[in-house]
Amino acid sequence: MRFDFSPEDEAFRAEVRAFFREHLPSDMARRFHIGAHPPERRDVKAFQALLHSRGWGAPHWPQEWGGTGWTPMQKHLFMEELYNADGLDYGWQGLHMVAPVLLEFGTEAQKQRFLPPMIRGDEFWAQGFSEPGAGSDLANLRTQAQLDGDEWVVNGQKIWTSDSAMSEWGFFLVRTDPSVKPQRGISCLLIPMNAAGLSIRPIVSIEGGTGLNEVFLDNVRVPRDHLVGEAGMGWTYAKYLLEKERTSSAFLYFNKRELEKAREIARRQMAGGVALIDAPAFANKLARVEVDVLALEYSVLRVLSNEKNRQNLDAVVSALKLRGSALQQLVTDLQVEALGLHALRYWAHGEGEVIDADEAVRWPDFVPGRTAGALIARASTIYGGSQEVQKNIIAKLAFSL
Amino acid sequence: MDFNLTDEQQMLRDAAARFVREQYSFEERRHVAAASGWSPERWAQYAEMGWLALGIPEAHGGLGCSFVETAIVAEELGRGLALEPFIECGVLAARLIETADAAAFADKRGELLEGIANGSLQVALAHSEPGNRFELDGLGTTARAEGAGFVLDGVKMMVPALGAADQLIVSATVQGQGVALFLVPRDAVTVHLYPLIDGTRAGDVELRSVFVGPEARLTSPGTGVALLEEALDRAALAQVAHALGCMEAVLEITSEYLKTRQQFGQAIGKFQALQHRMAEMFVEVQETRSILYRGMAHLEGSASARKQAVSAAKVMLGSAGRFVGGQGIQLHGGIGVTDEYQIGHYYKRLLVLDKLCGDSDWHLGRFIAAQKETA
Repeated sequence: MRFDFSPEDEAFRAEVRAFFREHLPSDMARRFHIGAHPPERRDVKAFQALLHSRGWGAPHWPQEWGGTGWTPMQKHLFMEELYNADGLDYGWQGLHMVAPVLLEFGTEAQKQRFLPPMIRGDEFWAQGFSEPGAGSDLANLRTQAQLDGDEWVVNGQKIWTSDSAMSEWGFFLVRTDPSVKPQRGISCLLIPMNAAGLSIRPIVSIEGGTGLNEVFLDNVRVPRDHLVGEAGMGWTYAKYLLEKERTSSAFLYFNKRELEKAREIARRQMAGGVALIDAPAFANKLARVEVDVLALEYSVLRVLSNEKNRQNLDAVVSALKLRGSALQQLVTDLQVEALGLHALRYWAHGEGEVIDADEAVRWPDFVPGRTAGALIARASTIYGGSQEVQKNIIAKLAFSL
Repeated sequence: MDFNLTDEQQMLRDAAARFVREQYSFEERRHVAAASGWSPERWAQYAEMGWLALGIPEAHGGLGCSFVETAIVAEELGRGLALEPFIECGVLAARLIETADAAAFADKRGELLEGIANGSLQVALAHSEPGNRFELDGLGTTARAEGAGFVLDGVKMMVPALGAADQLIVSATVQGQGVALFLVPRDAVTVHLYPLIDGTRAGDVELRSVFVGPEARLTSPGTGVALLEEALDRAALAQVAHALGCMEAVLEITSEYLKTRQQFGQAIGKFQALQHRMAEMFVEVQETRSILYRGMAHLEGSASARKQAVSAAKVMLGSAGRFVGGQGIQLHGGIGVTDEYQIGHYYKRLLVLDKLCGDSDWHLGRFIAAQKETA
């Protein structure tokens, strides 16, 4: 066993830190610090372009397509520094979901068409998986695609389709063969979000954001070559994605950064004449959550460093998701708790970005965004496989129950 | 970073696992617990396999291994609820003797460490007192200078592994100098032994004007607390490893039980409520292993980083141990609360491990203090 980062890793960390310090505009960092669901498209685009200009637009891709060739530990350090700098961890649907599937199963023409605009930040992607009748039971999805000459004709409805409104493209799971068992009849189809027959209805989420949407597909026609890989393999590709992103479900970097925000709030809020962080009841709660975050960090590092675990790796990944998503709620709840009465104010989108000195006496700059973050964090234990689904997986894979 | 064991470490793990499996059955353990709370034959085997020499420097007859090796053995012994004082003597006392910084003590170091390493000598730390909880200083036991030596007076309680100890390391307040540590032969004190809930033997110690020579003092003026705290941290982290072994065993025993126990016409493991409980226990055990590794990563670092990391691990031992041990009983139903069945014995050992070397609340407080130091 070896527990330290190499000198090369430490040098790399310093390089990343310096890059963000020099190149991330402070007003953009401020907006990302507040956090909005979704962020402004212009910010997402500008941040992606910034990363791409440095060659860091898609670290996990193969180098021939613009990847960095970093070790897992370097990617870890990069993400940690990105969050420390209040950078943006976004564009997941495209960079982390569509791209790996295209790279593995797509045609050369698909890769040439879709990957370059994605890494440049010119085209964004929505993900159409869930349906009203297919949430945790995703294999039950009903949206159909039927071949008509050289075109797929798509009919159905998707829901919780993140970023539909800001995206050029959607990555849809559709049923292409109703006659086989549910998992076998699903395919991956790439659909332009401005296609005729496709309509979007925003869903206002609990904190006021409009990142989630319903998407209705009414005789939407897309060229035959927009299918990814083979028909009927959609379920296999979706599972492949999960294999590629083993540790991301821990939301480690989010949890570490948001915990730091909670600590900062508690340093600046007063309670009974002392800083809240020195009030024992709060300090104990904060510390207990921090212990769990520290453990989560090493759980991630263990997976990243290819620990030979006696446990089933998929069960370990589900454990990361369980603990990581529960912690998203715990750390953001700590912020709400630390804010006291300040937590109750509703802030409209963009409000509180700039707070002048007079107002800051009453409304310090650490207030905007925190309660909204805690509210939307209630979703963290639902999406990407709910807590209950993860527990089913662990019971089966770790204990054969 | 690399969390994989080297070939040598894997061999050590395999050997320890085999020992527990083949030599330390639950029935065997019950017999040892009833007799004296430890087995001299087993202790000799520990020494023969080199486990008591792991952390001791090579210059003193030890193997000079990193803490990883200690944690490996502690974990495997935890699986079998081994009773011998591997941590109390092999880790804690050995470390105190190794790091003792008083010049007059230096001549004794080699002999004592060799004795521990070859299994011929057991040493126990007598530190806790009825009037303190887990504090390191403010001790009622005093050491007064007399001639070239010291006279010790006071009462110690809950001295783990006292039953087998030949020598004691006693913490005492020296006027004007704070805490110092002294080596005291067991036959110079009055001992009241009692069993603990986990089958080991602890005891109280009365020191009535016990005279020791100058060479019996381990620590120089002003260093007692720091040396004591560092050694206790190693013991606490070894406890986390031991608890991890206990919890892994609970998972194994309980999941097997869920597959065999039939109710309502099926194996109770078919019920989702119980499956989910097992999944929650699995997460706790995974996270305990992670926080143990984090503790090992910071063990040789700065004092504040070490304290922060060890306390974090000890806090998690407390909560995870109570949850996993408690639910291990719950999922067994009635048989879980019987003395006859093994699962309750894991709960009791986990409770003991939570309390020794500072309980969860104490460590959470120390974690917060250490956080401030490192910030």
